Amino acid sequence: MKNDFEKILDDCVDRINQGDSIESCLADYPALARQLRPMLQTLFSVKEAYSFVPFPDAKRAAREGFNIALENLSRKREASQPHFTWLQGWSRVWATAAAVLVIAAIAYTGIRLATPQGETVPYPEPSIAAPSLEPGPSPVVPSIQPEPSPAVPSPQPEPSPVMLVAKPSLEGNFVFLISDDVNAIGDFESVNLSILKVSLLKSGNPDELVEFEPEQGEVDLTLLKGDNTQEIWRGNLPEGQYTNVSIHVSSVLGILKETGEEVEIKLPSDKLRITKDFQISKDILTTFTYDLTVVAAGSPQSGIKYILKPQVDQSGATHKPITQKEKTDIE
Amino acid sequence: MSDNLSKGKADSKEYKESALSSLYEEYFDKIARYAYVRIGNRVDAEDIAGDVFLKALKSLNTYKERGVPMQAWLFRIAHNLVIDYFRKMKKRKTVPIDDVEIEGGINPAKVAERNMELEQVKKAMEQLTQEQREVLVLRFFGGLSSRETGQVLNKSDGAVREMQRTAIEKIRGLLSLED
Repeated sequence: MKNDFEKILDDCVDRINQGDSIESCLADYPALARQLRPMLQTLFSVKEAYSFVPFPDAKRAAREGFNIALENLSRKREASQPHFTWLQGWSRVWATAAAVLVIAAIAYTGIRLATPQGETVPYPEPSIAAPSLEPGPSPVVPSIQPEPSPAVPSPQPEPSPVMLVAKPSLEGNFVFLISDDVNAIGDFESVNLSILKVSLLKSGNPDELVEFEPEQGEVDLTLLKGDNTQEIWRGNLPEGQYTNVSIHVSSVLGILKETGEEVEIKLPSDKLRITKDFQISKDILTTFTYDLTVVAAGSPQSGIKYILKPQVDQSGATHKPITQKEKTDIE
Repeated sequence: MSDNLSKGKADSKEYKESALSSLYEEYFDKIARYAYVRIGNRVDAEDIAGDVFLKALKSLNTYKERGVPMQAWLFRIAHNLVIDYFRKMKKRKTVPIDDVEIEGGINPAKVAERNMELEQVKKAMEQLTQEQREVLVLRFFGGLSSRETGQVLNKSDGAVREMQRTAIEKIRGLLSLED
């Protein structure tokens, strides 16, 4: 009985996984509806609590990596295959042709031997003469049919991203700024952040991953509250549509205002990524502000921990034309 | 004869590579979700999902279709990578980003309420045995059948169904207590 219930519950889980509703499942098992309902609602709670869809960019980048690995494997396999493999494919054709020729030659010689000197006989058509002279069973020649292709479609490798390293320039079309949203930053005397590099994904075919190392990679976030910003790089980036920006952080260290104590601000990952679409053009100065924040988690009882996070909604690009005057001023 | 031929073809590298490639779109998300539930970090969960496919590609010669379906095999790899991840994380001081997720433009009260609910469910999940938790994650988030889940965990499908029921009942009980 318990076993039956487990099977029914299992069936409902399968159906819900495939997009069916609780009600539709309960309708099929009305006698067990009272027992099943709370269990299926629990399933929904668990699913909802952990609802998570990977970032399309992350998925695309992973797929590109997979396609590159797939291509490399295929290339290695081709390189390790012996030359003249095309001969293997044709071997059965050649064997058939050779068999027919041999049989024809035997037939021709046999007829010549059996015929008085000087008398000519028509040259036998191999395909007709051979069987008549060789009364035994004709050789079975395997028909040559192309191998059916596998049921699954063959992969269509997507273009892989091209890596580009951008050079700094005072006359560049791009400025990268760091800023800080308030949250828990008020708890700190200083928050020193070391940025190793910045990478930007440019859409295209293939995509391009443009990277640069900041000229000024050390930043104190307590000085960058609200509208304050710090320029960490200025230079030229290729024109185009960009879709995400990541900063690679090597360390972040905070000094608490109240106690002067040094605390570690934790990083969710070494790479802090935000997804934001923006355009870069040749004669337009694009200024991208990457906003970070420090948030506090936990309670005084269990202990407070500080975490550094990107602020997507506060980050973004602004544009203004580069005038001749600005160019001259820079010079 | 034709059986041998189809087995031979199913074991060929090209066929297996095509099969793996065709699973990418559907199973990348499921594996990322599986990893996310286990480790609680979105970015790392996405990285693990990508690594699963790369690792699978490297190990394709060890995979035999007649044993375990390829999707179940992918989750076995994911399971091992999650274990590796925890091993590495013991040495690094980072925390899951989603503990303190703050999205722009969202009502902070609602975020706090949702986080509390999430915390309750997480706490309830932590009360399960390792195997019960694994069964729920593979069934609910990986979308595997009981049979496939059993193949990942080396259990019979009957044992999986029983663990699934007891795990759901336990979570239900714990969440009712919280209410």
